[in-house]
Amino acid sequence: MSDEEHHFESSDAGASKTYPQQAGNIRKGGHIVIKGRPCKVVEVSTSKTGKHGHAKCHFVAIDIFNSKKLEDIVPSSHNCDVPHVTRTDYQLIDISEDGFVSLLTDSGGTKDDLKLPTDDSLAALMKSGFEEGKDVVVSVMCSMGEEQICAVKEVGGGK
Amino acid sequence: MLGFSNGSGGGGGVGAEDLAQFQSTMRAIELACSYIQINTNPAASEATILSLHQSPQPYKACRYILENSQVANARFQAAAAIREAAIREWSFLATDDKGGLISFCLGYAMQHANSLEGYVLSKVSSVAAQLMKRGWLEFTPAEKEVFFYQINQAILGSRGLDVQFIGINFLESLVSEFSPSTSSAMGLPREFHENCRKSLEQNFLKTFYRWAQDAALSVTNKIIESHSCVPEVKVCNATLRLMHQILNWEFRYSKGGTRASINVFSDGIRLGTASSRKTECVIVQPGASWCDVLLSSSHVGWLINLYSSLRQKFALEGYWPDCPVAVSARKLIVQLCSLAGEIFPSDNAQMREQHLLLLLSGVLPWIDPPDVISKEIEEGKSGSEMIDGCRALLSIGTVTTPVVFDRLLRSLRPFGTLTLLSMLMGEVVKVLMVNSTDEDTWSYETRDILLDTWTTLLASMDGSGGNAWLPPEGMHAAASVFSLIVESELKVASASATTTEDDADCLASVSAMDERLGSYALIARAAVDATIPFLAKHFSERVARLHQGRGTVDPTETLEEVYSLLLIIGHVLADEGEGETALVPDALQSHFVDVVEADKHPVVLLSSTIIKFAEQCLDAEMRSLIFSPRLMEAVIWFLARWSFTYLLLVEDCNLGSNQLQSLPSRACIFTFFNEHSQGKFVLDIIVRISVTSLMSYPGEKDLQELTCFQLLHALVQKRNICFHLLSLDSWRNLANAFANDKALFLLNGVSQRSLAQTLVLSAYGMRSSDASNQYVKDLMAHMTSSLVDLSNNSDLKNLAQQPDIIMLVSCVLERLRGAASATEPRTQRAIYEMGLSVMNPVLRLLEVYKHESAVIYLLLKFVVDWVDGQLSYLEAHETAVVINFCMSLLQIYSSHNIGKISVSLSSTLLNETKTEKYKDLRALLQLLSHLCSKDMVDFSSDSIEAQSTNISQVVYFGLHIITPLITLELLKYPKLCFDYFSLISHMLEVYPETLAQLNSDAFNHVLTTVDFGLHQQDVDIVTMCLRALKALASYHYKETNAGNSGLGSHAAGHTDPNGLFHEGILSRFLRKLLHFLLFEDYSPDLVSAAADALFPLILCEPNLYQGLGNELIEKQANPNFKTRLANALQVLTTSNQLSSSLDRLNYQRFRKNVNNFLIEVRGFLKTR
Repeated sequence: MSDEEHHFESSDAGASKTYPQQAGNIRKGGHIVIKGRPCKVVEVSTSKTGKHGHAKCHFVAIDIFNSKKLEDIVPSSHNCDVPHVTRTDYQLIDISEDGFVSLLTDSGGTKDDLKLPTDDSLAALMKSGFEEGKDVVVSVMCSMGEEQICAVKEVGGGK
Repeated sequence: MLGFSNGSGGGGGVGAEDLAQFQSTMRAIELACSYIQINTNPAASEATILSLHQSPQPYKACRYILENSQVANARFQAAAAIREAAIREWSFLATDDKGGLISFCLGYAMQHANSLEGYVLSKVSSVAAQLMKRGWLEFTPAEKEVFFYQINQAILGSRGLDVQFIGINFLESLVSEFSPSTSSAMGLPREFHENCRKSLEQNFLKTFYRWAQDAALSVTNKIIESHSCVPEVKVCNATLRLMHQILNWEFRYSKGGTRASINVFSDGIRLGTASSRKTECVIVQPGASWCDVLLSSSHVGWLINLYSSLRQKFALEGYWPDCPVAVSARKLIVQLCSLAGEIFPSDNAQMREQHLLLLLSGVLPWIDPPDVISKEIEEGKSGSEMIDGCRALLSIGTVTTPVVFDRLLRSLRPFGTLTLLSMLMGEVVKVLMVNSTDEDTWSYETRDILLDTWTTLLASMDGSGGNAWLPPEGMHAAASVFSLIVESELKVASASATTTEDDADCLASVSAMDERLGSYALIARAAVDATIPFLAKHFSERVARLHQGRGTVDPTETLEEVYSLLLIIGHVLADEGEGETALVPDALQSHFVDVVEADKHPVVLLSSTIIKFAEQCLDAEMRSLIFSPRLMEAVIWFLARWSFTYLLLVEDCNLGSNQLQSLPSRACIFTFFNEHSQGKFVLDIIVRISVTSLMSYPGEKDLQELTCFQLLHALVQKRNICFHLLSLDSWRNLANAFANDKALFLLNGVSQRSLAQTLVLSAYGMRSSDASNQYVKDLMAHMTSSLVDLSNNSDLKNLAQQPDIIMLVSCVLERLRGAASATEPRTQRAIYEMGLSVMNPVLRLLEVYKHESAVIYLLLKFVVDWVDGQLSYLEAHETAVVINFCMSLLQIYSSHNIGKISVSLSSTLLNETKTEKYKDLRALLQLLSHLCSKDMVDFSSDSIEAQSTNISQVVYFGLHIITPLITLELLKYPKLCFDYFSLISHMLEVYPETLAQLNSDAFNHVLTTVDFGLHQQDVDIVTMCLRALKALASYHYKETNAGNSGLGSHAAGHTDPNGLFHEGILSRFLRKLLHFLLFEDYSPDLVSAAADALFPLILCEPNLYQGLGNELIEKQANPNFKTRLANALQVLTTSNQLSSSLDRLNYQRFRKNVNNFLIEVRGFLKTR
């Protein structure tokens, strides 16, 4: 992608890529990479280096995969890395004994490398919905080479 | 007989059996009290004590405990039990017993006056006071006379000092019981409390004050003569406190009965008057009848003497400046300074001045000479005399004019009071300069009080038209105070330059000192001849210093000084003008009479100096050396405030040229910065400075927000400035950069939005509507096309998730939203087309970004603002397009969000998700409200019939989506609550039939929320709920009268499977509303709205209303109240020729009826 003009091209580098963005433009609710981890920003405050210095941003962010809290301070005119975070919906087709799930991709293939989420209520919801024969759609969040099921939605159907 | 009516007599006539009973009760209570103290099994102990409180007629037992127990706490509890039981059982007690209880308590307190446990005694005498009040309206004057004779004897001192103290203490309790803000609850009608208060104020208060005076006089000599602390001091202190308390009374009945009616709607607690001043100064206005007690009896002289002899004893043991009696005396002196009103005969101004003079002469030794006293305080003396002295000045300033204020001191000193004020201020400021640490509080407090005094004096002058100037010496005083203030501020500034502030301070960086600076500005404007040149001199000096040291010396300290100066000058030259047209301050217009040439006018000179300084930031080298982000913030702030007041003024046509000639100074200011002179040139500079601050300070969010919101936004507010703006190259550059330059895409989202809004608003300056539309089109074309391109991209799904694309989309949406919110008739067409061209992209993006809640929110907000701006202008077919679009939007949103459960291990992230949902919901509510408003405000040329059905369908559908998402929990967010209820009330008023079509779950849900809303604190919300009820009930009434079903089953009530009958919603609300009106506290503003809702409800459910009325009447025990209530209810529905049709006239009549009804009955129904 050239920096000069936008030609909406998708880049093949895909999910692992990060993008530079001015620190002053990263807002609460946005994403940021801190210590190599993709995070969601929960707090931004600005302060100055000395009274007549330049502004800097103080980020408090939460790792989107393991929920650990991380902090960083960056001069607001400098660039930060912003992770590419995607969420993809799949239909749930099977839950195997060992805790792995089988998901149906858009192209008709299956994706079998994800485990049930560690969150009990979400896992229970998936199981019960699946057992009742409902159409269960799960959202899979993917960033910087990691993947996790993050949401579930029952479309209905069932018995 | 309860064993009390025989007065004293230590338990005579008590049988042995009773005695054993009492003893065991006493044991139990003593045990309980000691357990509570050591915190063993407190619940059980409390239960024991409570059972005594609640037992019927516990008086004998309590008396036994009071007289025999060795445990003070047990005696305390016994007294409390007497109070509880007597208030509860009052109406069953025999008259003798009532009197007996009171005299027992009084007698007990006096007999044990020398006891060490003071708290038991004050409890007992407060019980006596409360019972006295309870029986106040029943006792005959002769009965009261008996009690008061006893009290008076005690106070006169014939029974010793301790008894004297108890007597005064009792009166203190009594006065506080009778004052509405401090009275204890008794479960009695408000009328009762009000009558007691009136009776006390009219017949007793002054007498009490006299007694206090007499008591004080009786001990004064002893105190003055003795050389050590004597027990009389305690009595003296009590009398001073009592006098202070009496003067604090909120006098009502002295002023010809103007405020004599009781406020039936809320408790008569004195509301804090909304004053911005830090120190409270209550004006004492007891009325003409108090003249003899307070003024002609040399009361003040006595008080001043007492205090001055106390002062001489401060060196002795037992006395010091903060000993209780000295504090009370000073308090009373300060209070007497604020004496005002009819107590001074209107034809005798001299009397008033004499009174103040006398007080001032007493206060003077505390504060004069200021330098000596401040030095003493710094060396360790207490600062409280100084503080109280300044309070006294504040009080005097509050009740006099500046001229009288200044004159007061002249008979005592060679200078006026204003000079003294300025000297005091000077000393305090000096102290503050030396030690700016927070340890020292007296100087801070004194400074605030003195500033308030200046503000009070000068503000009173400001209102009188600007021609009233201070006396010359006063002006001089003001000028010297101001120069000291400025110097001290500069010193503080340069000292603080190197310290890094906390975040909290930083946040409030520019507007933090506003209030203080506002007071400074008032002082400066009182002496503009001196202060404006003074400020100009300081400013130029600092700027010169910056230039000299360029590159060699660290400029931080000077920068901070310039920063402070800019803030001060900004306040002096211009008022805030928020929400109104800012005018050039009177003082600046009318002074400088001898200035004829505009470019010599001090105000013009000062302004020009600053603008020239600001212009230097355009140079890159200067910028990096001098113009730090913080300094730029001050520059931008100053320019915004200044230009709003001075730039390109259009001379008001009402002021003819005559007036201009008569005020040459005014003419100078007006012409110098107008379009024929320097105005356009300055405007160009300001625009270029703004562009610099937006482009050359990357990441400085605060600065950019200030530039967008304050400066640029203020410029386009004035139409005539828009014309000039569009002709400027610099403005064209800004617009061009906005459309094409990447740097402006790096601004904060809200700044971009504001900038878009500003630029679109400036299109007004085009000569024709077509040109304006074209301008907007050119401005926004780039944004819309980028959204369209993106949404047409075949790989949108993957592409959209890239952070840089998300960023781009967010920026574009913010800008579109800004433009949409700037819709005006002249540019409406262009903005409509702008929205139209992105409709499909918006729907596409809503789909693609379903997981990216931040973008979704921006999308929704854009649509909300766009619909809000456009809807009222649209023709039928256009409306249909918009409505369909909104429908699709709602459908897509709900398909993604209903039934979705997302989880996160982190509770913070989970809360975030909830907040996001809340914000979305608010946006949807706003969207629906705007859609509803099409039927109310419509500028289109064709009739609304064609599309009204459409709208109600969307709203109906929207309601279906939204109601399940709204919970009572969510309604606790005030903004959401407001939006929700404004939608509901609006909906019900415009489309009541829509609600009737909802299924019963949704319907009940809506009404549960209305019920919830009725109990909110916010008047607006309650009003909206009442409007909703009115709409609902009147719809039902009209429909049923026309033979339709109206609300049908919702109104009828039903029997559930368990056989329980649930009454219909209208009955339910009738019941609730009546209860609300009669028994709850609410603002009087709600009465009309409530009446409007009540009327149709009564018409819908006449039978229930009858029943409720009868029930209410039955409940009244008092036959007098019974008839009053019955009559009032009768009158409510019959008087004023009320008929049963729901028209405007009837509503009006009913409102009047309700008002009268409430005034008649709330006095006794509402208890306290």
